[in-house]
Amino acid sequence: MTRFEDPESLAVALRSESYLADHGLSVALYLALTMGRPLLLEGEPGVGKTEVARALARVLDARLIRLQCYEGIDAAQAIYEWDYARQLLYARLLQSGELNAEAAIHRLYDEPFLQERPLLAAIRAGSRAVLLVDELDRADDEFEAFLLEALSDFAVTIPELGTVRSDDGSSPVVILTSNRTRELHDALKRRCFYHWIDFPSEEREAEIVMLHVPEAGERLSRSVASSIARLRGLELVKPPGAAEAIDWAGALSRLGFDEVTEAGAEATLGLAIKNRDDLDVVTARLSEIAR
Amino acid sequence: MIDATEAVGFGRALRSAGLDVEMRRVAAFREATGRVRSDDLYWAGRSTLVSRRDELAVYDRVFATYFRGAPEERRAGVAVPVRRRVTGIGSAAPGSAEPGPRSQVAAASSVEVLRRKSFADCTPAELAAVHRLLARLRLLAPTRRTRRRRIARRGEPDLRRTLRRAFRTGAEPVEVVWRTRRRRPRRIVFLLDVSGSMAAYSRALVLFAHAAVRADRRFEVFAFGTRLTRLTPALDTLRLDAALSRATAAVADWEGGTRIGDSLRAFLDGFGHPGLARGAVVVVCSDGLEVGDPMLVGEQMRRLRRLAHRVVWINPLKASPGYEPLARGMAAALPHVDVFASGHNLDSLAEVARAIESAGLRRARA
Repeated sequence: MTRFEDPESLAVALRSESYLADHGLSVALYLALTMGRPLLLEGEPGVGKTEVARALARVLDARLIRLQCYEGIDAAQAIYEWDYARQLLYARLLQSGELNAEAAIHRLYDEPFLQERPLLAAIRAGSRAVLLVDELDRADDEFEAFLLEALSDFAVTIPELGTVRSDDGSSPVVILTSNRTRELHDALKRRCFYHWIDFPSEEREAEIVMLHVPEAGERLSRSVASSIARLRGLELVKPPGAAEAIDWAGALSRLGFDEVTEAGAEATLGLAIKNRDDLDVVTARLSEIAR
Repeated sequence: MIDATEAVGFGRALRSAGLDVEMRRVAAFREATGRVRSDDLYWAGRSTLVSRRDELAVYDRVFATYFRGAPEERRAGVAVPVRRRVTGIGSAAPGSAEPGPRSQVAAASSVEVLRRKSFADCTPAELAAVHRLLARLRLLAPTRRTRRRRIARRGEPDLRRTLRRAFRTGAEPVEVVWRTRRRRPRRIVFLLDVSGSMAAYSRALVLFAHAAVRADRRFEVFAFGTRLTRLTPALDTLRLDAALSRATAAVADWEGGTRIGDSLRAFLDGFGHPGLARGAVVVVCSDGLEVGDPMLVGEQMRRLRRLAHRVVWINPLKASPGYEPLARGMAAALPHVDVFASGHNLDSLAEVARAIESAGLRRARA
């Protein structure tokens, strides 16, 4: 999968897919790709952790397979499950003699009845997939241990079918994200490379906005970026991320503003600020934000 | 690729600064440096040798001293203090002050006395005895439903098992198996004021937490005075006592009070809001003497209350006869507290344990 000569060419490719990676991130991604290791991404909500995996999948022309973690997620939801209703129906048909029993009996636990879940899909696809394990901190410890096992040898054993791995023996690119609600296990961290994604600089934020909302134009994009930077300086409960900046610029441009004015900000503030307490703080200081 | 000796030396420097850098990581680091340009040395190391945000500041510092040329893109660290290896400062372990043999009667009566004696009045030997008694207290967190399921007498049908059994009866699902959601204990979060007069109580409380919830890892402990320190990693090891002493030492100059509001905000921003306090039982132990703005305490407590399942406030001053929550911080916090208790001695802590346990059932207000 070493299609890229250096981190810069990877960054250029990501940019063509509308993702602006800063230098540190492109080095981390480049190393994870070339050395075949999972990459653990952390950062404030809204800095584009999930978006990295999407863009990477497009760049590599691979399928993005997303495993959204939540508390209590288990093998049946992450790897595979049998299609019980179909199995039962099939068994009934067998019994009523409508199928050739000898041949059919073995098929009961075979492909047609297997419901593939993200992890199995990714392992089968090998290098044709980017596996995004999203918000791993939400799953519980047991699941993490089990994920570690799957990520170490990229094979899954299904008792009725045998061991499953990719046809060509390759492994998928793995991106993990965490919001740090709990400390991930050391063993898992040791396997992964790590990158902390910071909020983008004002300059880069303006670029990101322009890339995603071309109709906003340079003037509005820069104005939104600097207002967002000021908002982040206010010690809010939930500082706006890049996603908020993009939405906000889109709304302002649709309403015909070409920069962040007090009136414009007031009408559209809900797109940038999504916490009631924060709204109070910001509304009181609107004139500073829209400058 | 950088020289192996240099890579190993850098790994050693990071290790002695407290990072968990094992040989495999150093090997990955060295390989990584061979794959990028030499001016990306900083990033090659950062991707391969660091695995959490609070290590970044340490990495930056060690990198700057080890390789001298510090890169421009370095970022300042975060407010959360870095966990460092703490070596033997502070008091003896609770077990080392083992009292000599004495008669059963004397032991029993001294237990009776100890149960009611305020932690602040205890001698070190008595405290050691208290700590052993604390270990016997059980603390059961209230439970909540999870998404995991188990077999049950009623609930929803368990298709997998029903089908398995149906094969025994000629694909006829005679016996339907049911399953239901599992219940799990909620996380318990302790926020302990370690400033001045509160230190003795907080120490007892953390030992209480440690002993009582030991079997169950779903608990977190933070200490605060003028700033917030996460003690949970230290709880796994014998470093607990040293870590507490250190946290206490850091606020020694603040005898008069505590920055409760700021500490609560640091907790909520850094840990609570991202998910640690969500649905948890949060126990704050403080006398409520705020040196900062009491408005901030009220505000942050309101935030906490909305996130947490139940908020318990332990204030040893409540035990004094005729106590009124006059401290401005305390008064501001009280409207957002579910259980208000004194927790100044063993009996009272047992009461706190019961209050936490029943917190799932009713909203008790004392």
